[in-house]
Amino acid sequence: MTIPTYMGLQTALSGLEAAQAAIDTTGQNISNANTPGYSRQTVNLTERSELTIPALSSVTGDGSQFGTGVDITSITRIRDTFLDSQYRDQNTTENGASTSSTILSQAQAALDEPSSSGLSGQLDTFFTDDWASLASTPSSAGAQQGVIGQGQAVADTLNTLSSQLSTLEGQVTSQYNTLTDPSTGAVASDANQIAQLNGQIAQAQAAGINANSLEDQRDNVIDDLSQYSNVNVTTESNGMVNVSFGNAAIAAQNGTTDATPLVNGTSVDLTDNLTDSNLSGSGGTLGSLLGLYDSTTGQGQLATYSSQLDTVANQLATTVNSAISGADAAGATAPPFFTGTTAATIAVNPAVTASSTNPPYTAAEANAVASLSGGTAQQTYNAFVTQVGSDVSSAQNTQTTSQSLLTAISNQRQSVSGVSLDEEMTNLIQYQQAYQASARVMTTINDTFTSLLGMLSG
Amino acid sequence: MIGRITQQMTAQNTLAGIESALDRLDTTQQELSTGKSINQPSDNPSGTALTLSMNTQLADLSSYSNQVTDGTGYSQAASTALSDITNAVQRIQELTTEAANGTQTTADMQASAQEVNQLIDEIKQDANTQYDGQYVFSGSATSTAPYQSGSNDSYAGNSGQVTRTIGPNTTLAVNANLESVLGTGQTTSGQPAGDGLLLNTLRNISDDMQSGSSTALNSDMTALSTNLNSLTGLSANVGATQDRLQMASTRIQTLQASDTQVLSNTQDADMASTEISYSTQQAALTAALQAGASIVQQSLMNFLGTSG
Repeated sequence: MTIPTYMGLQTALSGLEAAQAAIDTTGQNISNANTPGYSRQTVNLTERSELTIPALSSVTGDGSQFGTGVDITSITRIRDTFLDSQYRDQNTTENGASTSSTILSQAQAALDEPSSSGLSGQLDTFFTDDWASLASTPSSAGAQQGVIGQGQAVADTLNTLSSQLSTLEGQVTSQYNTLTDPSTGAVASDANQIAQLNGQIAQAQAAGINANSLEDQRDNVIDDLSQYSNVNVTTESNGMVNVSFGNAAIAAQNGTTDATPLVNGTSVDLTDNLTDSNLSGSGGTLGSLLGLYDSTTGQGQLATYSSQLDTVANQLATTVNSAISGADAAGATAPPFFTGTTAATIAVNPAVTASSTNPPYTAAEANAVASLSGGTAQQTYNAFVTQVGSDVSSAQNTQTTSQSLLTAISNQRQSVSGVSLDEEMTNLIQYQQAYQASARVMTTINDTFTSLLGMLSG
Repeated sequence: MIGRITQQMTAQNTLAGIESALDRLDTTQQELSTGKSINQPSDNPSGTALTLSMNTQLADLSSYSNQVTDGTGYSQAASTALSDITNAVQRIQELTTEAANGTQTTADMQASAQEVNQLIDEIKQDANTQYDGQYVFSGSATSTAPYQSGSNDSYAGNSGQVTRTIGPNTTLAVNANLESVLGTGQTTSGQPAGDGLLLNTLRNISDDMQSGSSTALNSDMTALSTNLNSLTGLSANVGATQDRLQMASTRIQTLQASDTQVLSNTQDADMASTEISYSTQQAALTAALQAGASIVQQSLMNFLGTSG
């Protein structure tokens, strides 16, 4: 038996093709070195099946297997799905903490504490400066105006704080509504993209093609979706993914089957997933927003702040008014100083400002009010400020921690999927030399034939 | 740890390092520029609570201090008026002694009566002493003059107290009840009220001088020395009030000093150590920036020939 004449050329050709595919893929990797979400690709090569030639040896008559070159089996992306799910979990936590810390910092800034212009400083002045002066000089017009003016300043500060908290609640609600809008919202947009990519990937896979770039895109969109709430991804055999969202995703991670995933193959289910019950208490921006203020139930951290502020206003009005009425001279009834029982409605009683001897209070009444300094209203307010401070501080700490964890996981993901230019350069040299070597084989075979044919013609 | 290092990782890590260095620097700079370590409640929630309550305590103390100053002025005015009244009464005592020894002529006696009447007016004027627009001897009716000049000696004030709060739940009456010493005297000329108090005695003396009765003047002298004793007693009371105010003032100053110390320890930045952190952090930032500028640029390409 003899060796087929042109087999060597085919073998060398397969080597050229393999080297070219590898160089092209290296080029693709280098081009996308800075593309977000790109996973580096690699050419998978296998040895081509051998050609068996019986009785190859002219001496022993033994047969042998003859190598026929290399096959390009596939070009696949290098990705660790376990790191993907870790990244998304951390992304959910980080975005939730960042939302909380942003909104709570705004609430904290509104308080303007500790400073002389905050409510605490205003109350100090109100009790220890203005009422105490009025107690010393009850007939002085300056002292009277001081009490009324500072009383109005205190009431204004409470009114402003209350309206700032309401504004924040409104902002939270509108942000939540924008994100969850079923037609234009970010969640709907992400879910629709995932469903669309699912369809394209399944088609490509049915045709036996690796849809690397489509899968990168889909992973990118799922990463984006994970900032809004928890996600759980399950991959089907046809290449599609099912994505659970919110509390359902947390349950799915713990092994419960999600009957109504947000993305199921090519269909999207927003009505079952963008609900208060599915998102309240979950992570991410949406979960945090609901934790701050849930417009459906009227609950949340900001609502708690509002009601604490109302308590401060109510205690202030009640203690001041009852101190005045408790110190009334026999038979006389002085008008209450404050009206209103909430932070939004508290005001200086118009009867006090309108009174001809304003404010119509005796030294004993003024003394009773002045001695309220450091009383329940101020204690409640101080506790409130401390709570806001602790909340902000803990949200910021969570954010810092989750941010560094996110960076760490992102680095691990990069380590697996990211493009290293040094590595690609090394590969480029390797593949270029393989290409040159295969070409040299081809030239050699050509030379061999030329000399054989020359012999014959000569 | 991590096997492969990619250019994106290096860039991201460098950026994260620079950002966190800048963030720390920003916090320290805020501390330096405000001089406070607590700039918002989240910087130190429990420290904030302490700061707020210390501020309230300091405001309380400053209010007590104001009231002590005000009360001191109030009783100072009372004390001055009382010593003027005492001087006038002592002059009347001299005149009465001279008139009672029976050597003076009727004309002399009448001239003395004239002077006594003038001194009575002077005493009532002293009783109308004001401090900061308030009548100090009117009880709590501080906008009403206690006595009017002329023959009507009726007291127009009340028996209320004027108090100043000089400490937590500590109030002090700073006015003196002069009416208990002066009394009503007379409501119409020549008809003494008969309460036996100072103005009554003085009106009696004036009347007795007018009528030239040295016997009556002798018994008036006894009454006058009793009245003078109660006047001295009242002055002593005012002096005691001033002492208490002085002590309160010292105590408030001590408390203010210690509270200010606590407040400063809680909310003020330790400048020396903040300055040092600031320079350290600045050095760290500069290092991070330099590393970013020089390391990230390097790759294998820098060392490969163009031909490959």
